[in-house]
Amino acid sequence: MAAQGKGLSGVSKQLHDYLPALVLFVAVLLVWEFGVALLEVQQFLLPAPSVIGDAFQENLDRLIHVGWFTTKEALGGFVIGCAAGILVAFATARWTLASETLMPFAIAANSVPIIAFAPIVNNWFGVDNPLSKMVIVAVIVFFPMMINTVRGLTLVDPAALELMRAYAASEVEILTKLRFPNALPYMFNAFKIAATLSMIGAVVSEYFGGNRSALGIFITQEAAQFRFANAWAAIIVASIVGVTFYLVVLLVERVTIPWHSSVRGEQAR
Amino acid sequence: MIEDLQTAVVRLDDVDKVFNQGTGNETVALKNIDLDVRPGEFVSIIGPSGCGKSTLLRLVGDLVQPTQGEVLVNGKPARQARLDQDYGIVFQAPVLFEWRSIINNVQLPLELRGVKKAQRTARARELLGMVELSGFEQHYPWQLSGGMQQRASIARALAIQPELLLMDEPFGALDEMTRERMNMELHNIWRRTETTVLFVTHSIAEAVFLSTRILVMSARPGQIMHVVDVDLPVPRGEHTREETAYFEAETEVREWLRKAKGYRA
Repeated sequence: MAAQGKGLSGVSKQLHDYLPALVLFVAVLLVWEFGVALLEVQQFLLPAPSVIGDAFQENLDRLIHVGWFTTKEALGGFVIGCAAGILVAFATARWTLASETLMPFAIAANSVPIIAFAPIVNNWFGVDNPLSKMVIVAVIVFFPMMINTVRGLTLVDPAALELMRAYAASEVEILTKLRFPNALPYMFNAFKIAATLSMIGAVVSEYFGGNRSALGIFITQEAAQFRFANAWAAIIVASIVGVTFYLVVLLVERVTIPWHSSVRGEQAR
Repeated sequence: MIEDLQTAVVRLDDVDKVFNQGTGNETVALKNIDLDVRPGEFVSIIGPSGCGKSTLLRLVGDLVQPTQGEVLVNGKPARQARLDQDYGIVFQAPVLFEWRSIINNVQLPLELRGVKKAQRTARARELLGMVELSGFEQHYPWQLSGGMQQRASIARALAIQPELLLMDEPFGALDEMTRERMNMELHNIWRRTETTVLFVTHSIAEAVFLSTRILVMSARPGQIMHVVDVDLPVPRGEHTREETAYFEAETEVREWLRKAKGYRA
């Protein structure tokens, strides 16, 4: 079947799909580089990509150090928040009343700018303590994770439920063989959102104060001392980590739910 | 009477089904339903839309409960029969799980029954052969056409070797050509497995071709208006559609359906 013909043709097709984006990326860099030179833009307003590149190389060791520090915060928050979100979702989906009571609150809480609590949370756990950033990240990712998982567990095809009942499936079997697989695509959507949010949450909450080895602190300090190229280099580190995080989730999704229409893409009927 | 109880695969005794009882939009779906289905019969239920024929099937499967009266399957209450996995069921949609390969979909009822893996796989392969899906074991549902998906769902319903097969407009979503082919295949499966079939449809041709008996239902509240015995020889095939008895049965069903209020053919 044509659908199984993934492989070499699939890879070259993907390359073909991403080519326009790659061309655009290079074009933006070139316009940036030469635009800055031509218009004689001041360094502190916008350093040229080559200057940022130099700053990146010069500070590589330090950037890796602070980048890894903040990545650990983001990862920790991601794991805590997602685990808690999934746990609460499973607990509430089991008892319909609980999920019906909690869902409106969760949806409301999801639209609260949780990052605004960063100074308060810093105060609770200590500004230097990475835990304070993890807690912020965990709270940020908790709500989308929980909401999506509850939806995935409850928005099940009624006919599929009837089928399970017809074959005398127990509640546990309905959960493991129907609700959970049904929830996986919803959960991966939440993981993708959470992956992006966790890096943003970690860096921005560091802007409100944090450990000297943190990426957000590095950015604010370098910017305060007019070393903008260094700040830009740090932002690139944050971007690389964020994109990598997202791509890892995407990869895990492909391996875990190859059957889902979001993964098999255009071949959906 | 007692002998009857033992031989009837399905028995409904004065069954009523009322939805939303005691509320403003109370609906009497079924009224005074008496029915006996004997082993090996192929009984079709036909009637106008909304006449409760699907509800009747769901009562037998214990997917809804009667408001009044008794439903027995294999001589036991419908609930017990469901818990004992006494029947297989096919819906209008194939209801295949998209995360399971075709063979794993077919195995599902066996899994729920706790059958060992090797045995499950062997049985599923055999069934896929029967519905002519050999070679598609490892495919996923979305890679199959609608007709093939429905064949897989029939294989799944037969997995537990049920004495009773409940089918709720299984070919309703298929085009005419595919439907006729599926009718032929179902007829052969029915002959080979000697399973008792309760079949909901609104196609007269399909009902006559497949059935030994056709129940014509009235519009809501659904009642069994008339029973047509189809005395066509078995095995049936293309020649069946040209026999006089076929036309006679078709005409009889059509006339009774016309009497059923609200029927528009």
